[in-house]
Amino acid sequence: MRPLTPQRILATCLGLCGVLFVVAVISLRMGAYPISVRDIVSTLFNAAAGRRDEVPVEFWQVVFGLRLPRIALGILVGASLSTAGAGFQALLRNPLADPYVLGVSSGAALGAIVSLIVAPHTVGAIQIAAFIGAASTIAAVYFLGRRGGQLDSPTLLLAGIVAASFLSAIIMFLLTMVTGSELRSIAFWLMGDLTAPPPTTNVLGWLGFLFFVFIVAAGAMYTTSSDLNLILTGEQEAKHLGVNVNRVKFVVYIAASVLTGLAVSVSGAIGYVGLLVPHVMRMLFGTDYRMLIPTAAIGGAIAIVLADTLARTVVAPTELPVGAMTALAGAPVFIYLMRRRMR
Amino acid sequence: MWRGASLYSRGFFIGRKLTRAERQLFCVIYFLACCGAMQAAAARPRQAPAYKRGMKFVTDETGRRMAIPFSVQHIVTLAPDLTETVYALGMEDKLVGDTSFCDTPPAAKLKPHVGSPQTPNLEAIVAMHPDLVLATTSINRAETADALLRLGIPVYTSDPHTVRGMLDSVARMADLIGANEQGTALVAQLQARLDVVHARIAELPLVHVLFVVWEDPLITIGQNTFIADALRWAGAESVIVANQNWPQVSMEEIVRLQPEYILFTANHSEADKDHELSRLRKQPAWKALKAIQMGDILKVDDEITKPSPGLIGAIEQIAHALHREAFSSAARENSFEREDGLKIQVFANVRERECDFCGL
Repeated sequence: MRPLTPQRILATCLGLCGVLFVVAVISLRMGAYPISVRDIVSTLFNAAAGRRDEVPVEFWQVVFGLRLPRIALGILVGASLSTAGAGFQALLRNPLADPYVLGVSSGAALGAIVSLIVAPHTVGAIQIAAFIGAASTIAAVYFLGRRGGQLDSPTLLLAGIVAASFLSAIIMFLLTMVTGSELRSIAFWLMGDLTAPPPTTNVLGWLGFLFFVFIVAAGAMYTTSSDLNLILTGEQEAKHLGVNVNRVKFVVYIAASVLTGLAVSVSGAIGYVGLLVPHVMRMLFGTDYRMLIPTAAIGGAIAIVLADTLARTVVAPTELPVGAMTALAGAPVFIYLMRRRMR
Repeated sequence: MWRGASLYSRGFFIGRKLTRAERQLFCVIYFLACCGAMQAAAARPRQAPAYKRGMKFVTDETGRRMAIPFSVQHIVTLAPDLTETVYALGMEDKLVGDTSFCDTPPAAKLKPHVGSPQTPNLEAIVAMHPDLVLATTSINRAETADALLRLGIPVYTSDPHTVRGMLDSVARMADLIGANEQGTALVAQLQARLDVVHARIAELPLVHVLFVVWEDPLITIGQNTFIADALRWAGAESVIVANQNWPQVSMEEIVRLQPEYILFTANHSEADKDHELSRLRKQPAWKALKAIQMGDILKVDDEITKPSPGLIGAIEQIAHALHREAFSSAARENSFEREDGLKIQVFANVRERECDFCGL
């Protein structure tokens, strides 16, 4: 096998960024509103030049009001979930781990439902309450998952699963108190939904904030990537090689949980991406975490943007939940790669 | 150099020099982030002008404020009951789009669709250039209205919980779409029909019914739904009292409460009443109900499920079926006094037609 050089990581990432760019352009072109590539280019050009008046109102609404924010949110959510998945798989040393295994999505869902009972019809209340719910669950599972003052992978996994079932039970109870229209919002949110408008009118600030949090958390995880490689061969071995295992686990746990909470609070629970994309990237580019974390992030972004494009075009004008599309399109790709590797 | 980095055991919170590869990678991630931020920068929402010529400010039934043109030309409806209302007002020429669920009247099926009421395609709505979108809390999601309002498209959301609330809603929407007179006439006519029913059954005891929304699991209606209110207008009352809109109830509870009548909606199944009865009589739980043994079930017109003008027809149907004696020829009067003193003439042929409609 060729040695892993920084140049190779960079080249791979740039290649994937190219794929992401192409997918984003295709996504920008596709949709129920017919709009040609030329019109999109001229709209973008006029917008960049500040000539707002020369753009037809509908083009502006479709390109800047609907498609671009959705693509940006898709990139963010996909990258977050996939990075978190890669992190949890290493932290728990379990290939089946995904961003929701530690109960984060249940905590977020509980927060969302409480917000719908306490303050219905408030834009953004769901997102904020979901983040609070996710953060509380992260903290609770962290303290439950320690053994002898240290983060213990099996204990953490059990704590997460117990927390998830407990929170789901509370959700079931609360759902009997929610009436019709709120129930619909909740149902869509639980399936994963990129269409919900952001909580503020300042879309730029909102997305900027989300990207900032993503970069801090993903960057923190990336600094531990070499250590994660060693921990995956065995915690004792890593300790002997001088890895501060507890610190690495703490950083990965917090970073992955923040990424999950971030994604879940803005888009609901989109399944499969956090589980599938890291494995696909391992099959394509190897298991080294220095390569895996950035490729998983970009791959997750590609997966969500692609799935969302399909979700809003295959049965147009009706839209499918993006979570259904990720599973539908992701599973065959995964099986193909798995079979190919076995040969 | 990677070898050195891999043995470097400290995490993020202890500062260390980044390797060249890491710096390069951060550059890539920053590049991505900047792209996203630039895209988002362009996505700054349009500032709605404080005042536009030819616009009036309206607060809808959920408290959202918006500017709507005085003269609305292109309407998109996001629910079957709203489509029906627009048709009842004679404003179908202004209706440029509805949902794939809209099938009443049949002509509504031919209008361009924007998707289902819960997942309408926002781009398809934009493409129709609507100057007013009508939505309702009874089937649409709040997120849809919020997203359209962000785009600068006014969305009036109705929130009817009672039959009278539905009539008020119809009047308000008629006013918005420039059908004020038609709206007043329609509401007065519907109110008169309600008054006819009310005058005949007001003195009679309420019939205790079970309204079946879904059979397995058994889901019925809560007391705050417009269906519960419509039942009261028809001289009936649900045996289940629940704050939830669509409570799931146990069959045991129904057997204990023994409703006098079981109401199904017509779309519940294609089978006619006799088939339905023989099917239910084979099931132990349903067999235990006296209403099933006596054959006291009623297939209610689908209109009962929509807060639209057709709801009044469904109320008439239920009232006729549950209070046959009040509508029998012996009890017929040709006129009666309304509460406000207005004298309503009830023509015999109207009554015949209504009776045909409900299959009596």
